Amino acid sequence: MADITLLHLAVRRLVGMAAVMLIVVSIVFIIVRIAPGDPAAVMLGPEATGADVAALRTAWGLDRPLAVQYLAYLGQLARGDLGRSIFLDRPVLTALQERAEPTLLLSLIAIAIALAIALPTGIAAALQPGSAFDQTVMALCMGAASLPTFWLGLVLIELFAVRWGLLPASGYDAPGASILYRLEHLILPATTLGLASAALVTRYTRAGMLDVLREDYVRTARAKGLGERRVVLRHALTTAALPILTVVGLTIAALVSGAVVTETVFGLPGVGSLVISAVLRRDYPLIQGALLVVAMLYVLINFAIDMLCLVLDPRLRT
Amino acid sequence: MGITRRGLGGVALATILEASTARAAVGVLNVATIGEPPTLDPMLSTADLVGTITQHMHETLYTFGTNWAPTPLLAAALPDISADGTVYTIPLRRDVKFNDGTPMGVDDVLASLQRWMGNATRGRQTGRSIAGIAAAGDSAIRITLTEPYAPLVSLLAFNNSAAIITPAGRQGGPVGTGPYQLREHKPDQYLQLVRNPYYTPLAGPSQFYGGARRPLLDEIRFIPVPDPDTRVAGALTGQFDYIDNLSPEAFPRLDASRTARPVVLKPYGWPVLAMNTKQGPLADIALRRAIQTALSPEDMMIAAFGSAQFGEPAGPMYPPGFPWHSDKGVVRYGEANPEKAAAQAKAAGYAGAKIRLLATRQYEFHYKIAQVAVEYLKLAGFNIELQIADWATLTQRRTDPALWEIYVTSSPFLPEPALNGYMLEDSPGWWATERKRAAVRAFNREGDAGRRAALFADIQTLIYDEAPIFKVGNFNSLAARSTRLQGFNPAPWPFFWNATLAA
Amino acid sequence: MRRRHLVWIGLVLLIAVTLAVACAPWLTPYSPSRLSIANRLQPPSGRWWFGTDDFGRDVFTRVLYGGRVSLLVGASVVAMATGLGVGLGLLAGYIRRLDAPIARLLDAMMAFPDILLAIALLAALGASAGNVVAALTIVYAPRLARVVRVATMIIRELPYVEAARAIGATTPRILLKHVLRNLVSPILVQGSFIFAHAMLAEAGLSFLGIGISPEVATWGTMISAGKGYLDRAPWLMLFPGMAIILAVLSLQLIGDGLRDVLDPRLGKEV
Repeated sequence: MADITLLHLAVRRLVGMAAVMLIVVSIVFIIVRIAPGDPAAVMLGPEATGADVAALRTAWGLDRPLAVQYLAYLGQLARGDLGRSIFLDRPVLTALQERAEPTLLLSLIAIAIALAIALPTGIAAALQPGSAFDQTVMALCMGAASLPTFWLGLVLIELFAVRWGLLPASGYDAPGASILYRLEHLILPATTLGLASAALVTRYTRAGMLDVLREDYVRTARAKGLGERRVVLRHALTTAALPILTVVGLTIAALVSGAVVTETVFGLPGVGSLVISAVLRRDYPLIQGALLVVAMLYVLINFAIDMLCLVLDPRLRT
Repeated sequence: MGITRRGLGGVALATILEASTARAAVGVLNVATIGEPPTLDPMLSTADLVGTITQHMHETLYTFGTNWAPTPLLAAALPDISADGTVYTIPLRRDVKFNDGTPMGVDDVLASLQRWMGNATRGRQTGRSIAGIAAAGDSAIRITLTEPYAPLVSLLAFNNSAAIITPAGRQGGPVGTGPYQLREHKPDQYLQLVRNPYYTPLAGPSQFYGGARRPLLDEIRFIPVPDPDTRVAGALTGQFDYIDNLSPEAFPRLDASRTARPVVLKPYGWPVLAMNTKQGPLADIALRRAIQTALSPEDMMIAAFGSAQFGEPAGPMYPPGFPWHSDKGVVRYGEANPEKAAAQAKAAGYAGAKIRLLATRQYEFHYKIAQVAVEYLKLAGFNIELQIADWATLTQRRTDPALWEIYVTSSPFLPEPALNGYMLEDSPGWWATERKRAAVRAFNREGDAGRRAALFADIQTLIYDEAPIFKVGNFNSLAARSTRLQGFNPAPWPFFWNATLAA
Repeated sequence: MRRRHLVWIGLVLLIAVTLAVACAPWLTPYSPSRLSIANRLQPPSGRWWFGTDDFGRDVFTRVLYGGRVSLLVGASVVAMATGLGVGLGLLAGYIRRLDAPIARLLDAMMAFPDILLAIALLAALGASAGNVVAALTIVYAPRLARVVRVATMIIRELPYVEAARAIGATTPRILLKHVLRNLVSPILVQGSFIFAHAMLAEAGLSFLGIGISPEVATWGTMISAGKGYLDRAPWLMLFPGMAIILAVLSLQLIGDGLRDVLDPRLGKEV
């Protein structure tokens, strides 16, 4: 029976997700339509002739009613066509794929750094709430959450790259360079981004652990005389894993935002810096495509985490 | 993936080893540039960046030798000019091959020059004085002019808006005659050039851009680093072998560095505010004069270059030492009087129309000049809006008169005044009055060097009177090279043939 | 209770910053925009407390005037996001028919990373202070709406609200009189976080060069302009950076403290 409930829930969430995705697409469609001026003229750039613009208007069906344009846009997306970048002169999807690696690696390493700092610190703080250690941790978290990411990044560049010459200040790839060469260029940016997320995750971990430690069965386990270490590891941590997992899902959005800034500071050729240069180059199809892909990924990741929570914790299936 | 197998613990050490070997690869030159080139077709752009990169892949009939004297490159010799100065016969080299192995022929040259006259800013302008271009046998061409046109050879030698020679059927593509050819272009990451296997260098010693161009380096990589501060950091950390366009304020750090050496070109060029004379509020000459009155070149130069060591205000279009230098006609320059300018603008009926000033941050000094200009123009009551754009985008937007009123740019001191943008009518700004046309025509027709200098002084007078541009001052450029780079000959558009890297 | 102290510390800090910024013309004799090239890059001293920048402008003065823009942007975003978010949240939380569509819309809006959505909106609208406020409002309003929606659903079931409905009070009256009053604390909590995030986002956008025009002093544009001088004139980046940290910290203290003091059920962080 439990499996049927799970399936039922999964289908319902899937339908919900599809609805959200449709709205995401609609929002992206609207954003580009509020840009002042004729999108065809904007997309072709100032060197285009009137005839070029007219041809593109017809090709895109910009003379048709908005509803028809919207359906056409949906059809285009359904075929996996995100349009073509003007400046880079290639399909938007290709451009995004080319830039995906640094952003993915940056986010993964940043999450790893954040978790490596946040989990032990958050749990330790939750075990002695109100202690000097706990208060220091909380104060540090708040301070770290108030730091602008780019400010931190610039300070790290000045110290580690320029003053001490330990790590490269910018760049990522070179012809024939190995993954290690690229990873070396990710150390500073991932640290910058990871520290910012660590503050957030520490606070959530601490809060999650505190909630769990107050629960009856943990108290029972403690009362039964189980060792503190076992209580924490066996009971509390497994329960707290779910809220922490959810936080990681939420953090991904924050990471992408942070990546936009961090990639620019460190000159990483990722999706974030691609979007920034697209804005400076007025490359609307690219901005539109990047926004769509990132939002879709976010919806998918959170759906996956949602499902994972359902599988792990039967109590959520009510 | 590699990380999981090795484990993250081993990464640090391995990375350091790996990175040092990647950097030490002999014969691979890493050049940090100010950004992504807007195009790789140097005919279609006047941006210095495009010329710098593409001169390694594409060549012109002539180029500039020692002291900027035009010297043959794809041509076999300087042109044979008829007595009345209207017929140029240009013999072509017979040993030139494109990088796909096909030999360069007369057809290719004719097709290329036709495209230049049709598409390139400088080519279109020159084309108005050209009656026809035809083959003269199987290895020479003949250009017939409607009237004498002294700057013709310099124009054919220039590397931006350049009269490059590409194969007749494949104009504007990557196939060229240069010492290097394009291997891979990853936008915003790198542009990789490797040797052209079919390249035959000219005989004789290297002379500035002329003479033998030997592709000694295996590879040249142009890496866009748009942030000026990141370029400085890249120079100091030894990440790049040549770093273009650094802020002069970085000079002390470079001078003290053990990995990098400063490369100073003195005098290099002049920053300028170009004004839109064709359309919008600044089509009114009175407002352009008010802007001249308002601006403080001194503040702009100090803000942009830090000290007189790298830049100082100077009104004349050329600095002392150039035959074109003259003080004639410099007016309203350096008045720095916003109040007076406000009165002038009011008298001209200025009622707060928006003035859009375009600038990029990739050239740090452009941005600083723009900021000082904005403050002074605000004081003079102008409704000014600073618009920041990517340099590649700015070079595209400036071609549309509807999009801007002023933009900040800069240029090296060009050996032949006719190469300057303000001499053309097509270049952004579109300065095209009857007086200008007459003055430029007189200058271009004149063959005698002394008389040309006097005629150029007349043009300078006109520039200050009609105010199509505001020349800010003279500056020296700062770049940096690694201590390993040898055989490098500093030039306004740096080139890397004949250069090597020490191991 | 200790948490209460945090709120007070945060409030005092915030008021101090706001007062300093508001009284800028009386606190400093200098103009924030007037150039004085001869005095460029002077280190902090009795004459220039925070030193001068690369155009010879007093950094202390610019931090004060820049704070006006930064705080004003943050406050405007909070005000507008609150209006929009509360409206949407109330409708979704109280009127069952509207709940599903609004909730889906909010989910979709939250799928966009904040800075990225703001960037796309600014790319479409054009960069200006007003558009930065508009873009950040659109980014943050859904976050508030979500909290208000959940809180409204809880309040809706409270006995006295049901009683009011039973005696025939109209929906708008119930919403305004009973529901909204109970929403004050979660709105305050969320408002202070949104304020903090909006200020960081404004700084980030200005730093990227696609927010407020770089010749307008804001804490973000000042850091951006000062980054090239980190070795010679670190005060250019240091002081505006400290100003942001101080303002954001004070708001976080207020939000955090309020959440713990007030009903914790209603104020879960977004």
